[in-house]
Amino acid sequence: MKQRPWLFLLPALLLVSISAFIPLMTVMNYSQLTLLPGTQPYFAGLENFVAILQDPAFQGALGRQFLFSFLVLITEIPLGLALALCMPKDGPGVGVSLVLLGIPLLIPWNVVGIIWRVFTRSDIGVLPEVFDWVGVTYNVSQFTGDAWWTVLAMDIWHWTPLVVLICYAGLQAIPEEFYMAAKIDRASPWKTFRYVTLPNLRGVLIIAVLLRLMDSFKIYAEPFVLTGGGPGSATTFLSTYTSRMAIGGFQMGRGAATSLIYFFIVILLSFVVYIIMLNLGQGAGNDS
Amino acid sequence: MAEIEVRDIRHVYDQGSPDETVAIERINLTLQDGTANALLGPSGCGKTTLLQIISGLLQPTEGHILIDGEDVTDKPPAERDIAQVFQFPVIYRSMDVYGNLAFPLRNGGVPEAEIESRVHRISELLELDDILHSSPSNLGPELNQLVALGRGIIRADTSAILFDEPMTDVEPSRKLTIRRRVKEAQQEFGITALYVTHDQHEALTFAEQVAIMKDGNLVQYDTGENLYQSPVNTFIGHFIGSPGMNLLECGLSQENGDPHAHLGPHQVPLDSALAPRLDLGWTDCHVGIRPSSVTVQVAEPHEDTGYLPATVDQVEMLGGFQIITATLDHTDVEVKARVAHDFAIDEGASVWLSFPPSDIRFFHDHEAIPA
Repeated sequence: MKQRPWLFLLPALLLVSISAFIPLMTVMNYSQLTLLPGTQPYFAGLENFVAILQDPAFQGALGRQFLFSFLVLITEIPLGLALALCMPKDGPGVGVSLVLLGIPLLIPWNVVGIIWRVFTRSDIGVLPEVFDWVGVTYNVSQFTGDAWWTVLAMDIWHWTPLVVLICYAGLQAIPEEFYMAAKIDRASPWKTFRYVTLPNLRGVLIIAVLLRLMDSFKIYAEPFVLTGGGPGSATTFLSTYTSRMAIGGFQMGRGAATSLIYFFIVILLSFVVYIIMLNLGQGAGNDS
Repeated sequence: MAEIEVRDIRHVYDQGSPDETVAIERINLTLQDGTANALLGPSGCGKTTLLQIISGLLQPTEGHILIDGEDVTDKPPAERDIAQVFQFPVIYRSMDVYGNLAFPLRNGGVPEAEIESRVHRISELLELDDILHSSPSNLGPELNQLVALGRGIIRADTSAILFDEPMTDVEPSRKLTIRRRVKEAQQEFGITALYVTHDQHEALTFAEQVAIMKDGNLVQYDTGENLYQSPVNTFIGHFIGSPGMNLLECGLSQENGDPHAHLGPHQVPLDSALAPRLDLGWTDCHVGIRPSSVTVQVAEPHEDTGYLPATVDQVEMLGGFQIITATLDHTDVEVKARVAHDFAIDEGASVWLSFPPSDIRFFHDHEAIPA
């Protein structure tokens, strides 16, 4: 009868193994093989990994990925926090703002891509037209800069509301007494923000940063729909590279190896960021 | 160091809306310079509201707050030189204990050298020396509350300190130590203090004078001794003391010029000094007597010495003493009496009770009639 608890865990274990464990193992298996359509798979050892790490296209995608995630974080986190601070604390305004913020989050990714695709198309799009009026040429399929900031804008528009919601919930949870004490201690508005709001939001900010970091690393649909990763490979990020390798290039072994490298980078990076943020402002030092 | 005057303060939350609630009806109160005061009352009686009005966190609907005669009603908290310690410890988590203590001084632009000497003085007084460079997150709520207190009294110009139920988060076993340090700090600096609590024991041990509030009104502001001995009404009588005063509904008569209270068939002689103030036509009268003033006797008295027969319903052992609850025979009047811990008595036993006239308080319409 001692085994009984395991019976209760069985459905969950089954679900996890189907959804995560078995695919992961399959990918690990593939990553060691040379798998080309129509040929017999053979063992390749670490060959796939070495080839990918040496591939300039991978290095380029990785570099762009880091830059993109960095830009996403330094824009979305401060912007989200600022918007959350501007939101009403009570009254009918709360519901209205929450619904407005929820709209981008409710739209499926590919629809977001299509909306922006139409919005930015050089023949019928509104955006190129507006730029034309002010005398600037805008073309996402021609100019790297245009493609970049458009993908960034899409991500910021789509995901900043999530950061706002997380921060807003965190702000609501800060007891009013902290602000009262700051008033009595004659703290300036900046010092109140620095010593009351920020430290109390640390937990939710860690969550927001990690979520956005991991999610931005997975960006796929937006550049894919907008320019297919172009112009050239200007908006080819890790996910686009991986899928091209595996599906476009029919190199399942390489694709699997890329996935694992990709997976490892995301985990390592999230862990590092988590540790850094956990220690940030937590030191016993005198930081004023 | 300051005298705080609460003048005609009235406060209504959400005035004009359907949720309108009157938190404070009208209160006048003067806290003398350098005294320790407590504000006591049941939950929801307006204590915290009054405190926030004094510290400036809340603007009163009507009335004025005067500090040393100066009207500060329109001044923000920062300009009132009043510190406040909240119900749960408010600390700045990203700073160590030193940084927390220094925070109000740094905000006021005090030079670092002076900050250091003041921090050391306060940490010595509150016995926080050993943890000056620890992060408050690692300390318990007791120490954090002391840090919060230290932040309140560290400013040289702090004239008053308000405590809003500061012991809520403090473990019972640590309360005594914390209270002692709070009291020492208050005396050391001669700060006018107002301590809000719903625990009368805390109020009476901390304060020289206690203000008791009920339903947004100040009922009595007096020393602990007077609150206990001469409550102004039945509410105070019942509220102060544990258990509270026995309040027995009674009739009134006069025999040979001496007033007597009737408890059913029983007669209780009252202090003859009361006679000129009583009106025999009164209804809604109560006699009040402290459980500790009730004399209990197990053996039947030989002659009529004013003892009333009663039956014991309940005996509660409270360590150093016992509280017995007895019903006067032929009535449904319940009386609580305090007897020694070794007083041998069983539930269901017959006892004789006596109420010494000088210890009896008389109430009409729930207001005390002074002798």
